[in-house]
Amino acid sequence: MAINLKSPAVATREQRLGTLIGWDGELSSLAQADARGCSSGCGGGQKLCEISGPFSQSSGCAEQTVQYEATQVRGAVLISHSPIGCSAGMASQNASYRYCQIKRGQQVEDVVALSTNLGERDMVYGGVEPLRAAIRLAAERHKPRVIFISTACSTGIIGDDVDSVARETQEEVGVPVVPVHCEGFRSKHWSTGFDAIQHAVLRHIVRKPTRRQADLINIFVLSGPDVYSPLLEQIGLRANLVLNGCEVENIEQLSEAAASTSFCYSLSSYLGAALEQEYGVIDLKSPPPYGFAGADIWLRDIGKVTGREAAVETLIEREHARVRPRIAELKAKLQGLRVFLGMGEGFAHGLIAVLGELGVNVVGALNFHHDIIYDGVDKQDITIAHLLKHYGDVKPFSVANGQPHRFAALLHQVKPDLVIVRHGVLNALSSRLGIPTMPLEGDSTLPFGYQGMINIGEELLSQLSQRRFHKSLAAHVRLPYRKEWLASQTQGEPLLERVA
Amino acid sequence: MAKKTKQIAIYGKGGIGKSTTTSNISAALVEAGYKVMQFGCDPKADSTNTLRGGEYIPSVLELLHADSRVDAHDAIFEGFGGVYCVEAGGPQPGVGCAGRGIISAVQLLKQQDIFEELDLDFVIFDVLGDVVCGGFAVPIREGIAEHVFTISSSDFMAIYAANNLFRGIQTYSKKGGALLGGVIANSINADYQREIIDDFVDRTATQVIEYVPRSVTVTQSELSGRTTIEAAPHSEQAKLYRRLAARIANHTQSKTPTPLDQYQLRAWSAAWADRLIAAEQRREHEAKVA
Repeated sequence: MAINLKSPAVATREQRLGTLIGWDGELSSLAQADARGCSSGCGGGQKLCEISGPFSQSSGCAEQTVQYEATQVRGAVLISHSPIGCSAGMASQNASYRYCQIKRGQQVEDVVALSTNLGERDMVYGGVEPLRAAIRLAAERHKPRVIFISTACSTGIIGDDVDSVARETQEEVGVPVVPVHCEGFRSKHWSTGFDAIQHAVLRHIVRKPTRRQADLINIFVLSGPDVYSPLLEQIGLRANLVLNGCEVENIEQLSEAAASTSFCYSLSSYLGAALEQEYGVIDLKSPPPYGFAGADIWLRDIGKVTGREAAVETLIEREHARVRPRIAELKAKLQGLRVFLGMGEGFAHGLIAVLGELGVNVVGALNFHHDIIYDGVDKQDITIAHLLKHYGDVKPFSVANGQPHRFAALLHQVKPDLVIVRHGVLNALSSRLGIPTMPLEGDSTLPFGYQGMINIGEELLSQLSQRRFHKSLAAHVRLPYRKEWLASQTQGEPLLERVA
Repeated sequence: MAKKTKQIAIYGKGGIGKSTTTSNISAALVEAGYKVMQFGCDPKADSTNTLRGGEYIPSVLELLHADSRVDAHDAIFEGFGGVYCVEAGGPQPGVGCAGRGIISAVQLLKQQDIFEELDLDFVIFDVLGDVVCGGFAVPIREGIAEHVFTISSSDFMAIYAANNLFRGIQTYSKKGGALLGGVIANSINADYQREIIDDFVDRTATQVIEYVPRSVTVTQSELSGRTTIEAAPHSEQAKLYRRLAARIANHTQSKTPTPLDQYQLRAWSAAWADRLIAAEQRREHEAKVA
């Protein structure tokens, strides 16, 4: 569906992309189901039968994602228009922000986040006055470059007119005041929060292009060092990194770049597609830059749209020559290792490629959600079909929103040598099962590009040297899963009810 | 480039004849060749019944309840003369939040750019009752309706609801929200009823768009599941609805009303009560003398 920037609130992922949070099968059968519908005859067309469980949501929400993204913009102040409890995640947002700034050599500052701290009275009489006061206070006390407002379930239900307050106070405070509609109840997956803030910056910060910057490539990133500029500078291009760790100027000029790309379409397919639709900024339709196959195509596509094909070939040759010897050594040590992945969909796709290049067998994966399509780019073509072609099938390939019991059952079934997890919760469980577990936290760039294969290979070796830690842990903990239940899971019984 | 769709919201106390009048306006507008959508914003989801032969249609919220991925086209049904009928729907009485229901339903249609796609001349929101919470104010907030009309009889409670709506309009008027087109005076059969409404609009700096008398034709049409325009096209009442529709179609300048505060409203209604009692006593006295 076309992106509609006129509406203040973004359409949810379920609406746009058919997102689901429960599914069991293999990577190959998921590809078939996405294209044609699943075997129970739901008919495809971006609809797929979803496994329904008693715990339909066990992790964050869209509001948390928005709070995370909004606080990572330099010079920004976030106002959480909500009861104070919605701001419980600020400490980890701050950790991520500080890490990102250190890695990029920026002057380190803390996130600045306020809360309207709504109470009973505000729920009854409306919360716009505390919001107005918070905006004025934020402007006066922090002199921000931009003020983001995240909405919450409570303010969504009482229908506070956040847009009007933002518009009125913007004139007064003289910087963009950006309302982001991210009520947690609207979508069952937190990734709608990425779309919500991208929608908001497109409406309120991205400027009408004043010129075309032919050497500028938008790259949509998360926290971590700038691994993109050193690569692109070699072919005479500049990377415009957005949103984590970026300046407001980086967001303003998104409309002027030659093209947009990312390391993760789960994160950014909305922003890329919208910039192409609204301003003609080419949204690159390459597989994500993981493994030799992905990185090569990714760079070649950038070369193609900027007329740097020859320079890109030289760069690819140079990078291959640089990393191949070390990768060969790592491969010799890691060949045949059986690894299970528990992470978001974009990262899982990336890791399947990286591990494939290292000779590691991916013996299963649990993803936190599944988008049947992406905005703009053809998902089948650039991710799943690409992976199947280069690295083969992954089985089991499960979608479960960070559900520990399903994770435990899958690990019991697969019995991997090692588990890689991105985002807490699950790594504690696999460690306690005695399986060496590599957390892929903090630095989102670790597996990126050519160097990413070396990074991951070395990290794997380091984790494998700590097997005993996990074994000792397992010997001293008791988990709530009965042997009979775990045994029943290995016999292929459905974990949960499947619903159309 | 699509033409600009004129978006109108009609508010009024429950049972005042809001859906009846709105449906007749919609019917008259399609009859005059316009492309019209009627959007019922009431959990009862019965705003458009008389445009569809008395038939209920699935509401946006019912569809959203069944499947989180809703194509807005599935919530649009054609009625009399090709009028597009949509019902926001909402929870059963006593549970949930009907105001949020309106927000969700309106958002869904806006996100899918339906008004532009259907190339509509008019979208008419038929909204329940007073502006009781933020959700019911959605149609008068920026970017939805431009003109608001309120339906009121001369009954004090109906005027109270109209005055409440004016307060909502006043709140949002400074923020680019909708402004007031005027009052559709319903069930006006006696002179004193007309005087009450006239006095109210004078004090609140607005106008009466049309005086609509109570009519048995309307009741008969409703009972047959049709609007008066459809069931009794040659009746006086149908002519009156056509005139009302034409006035609304030609209406361009809406204003910010000056609602009465609760003390002024009470004093005003008490003064009218005294006047009516005095008139009644005078009549009784004259009857005795005669």
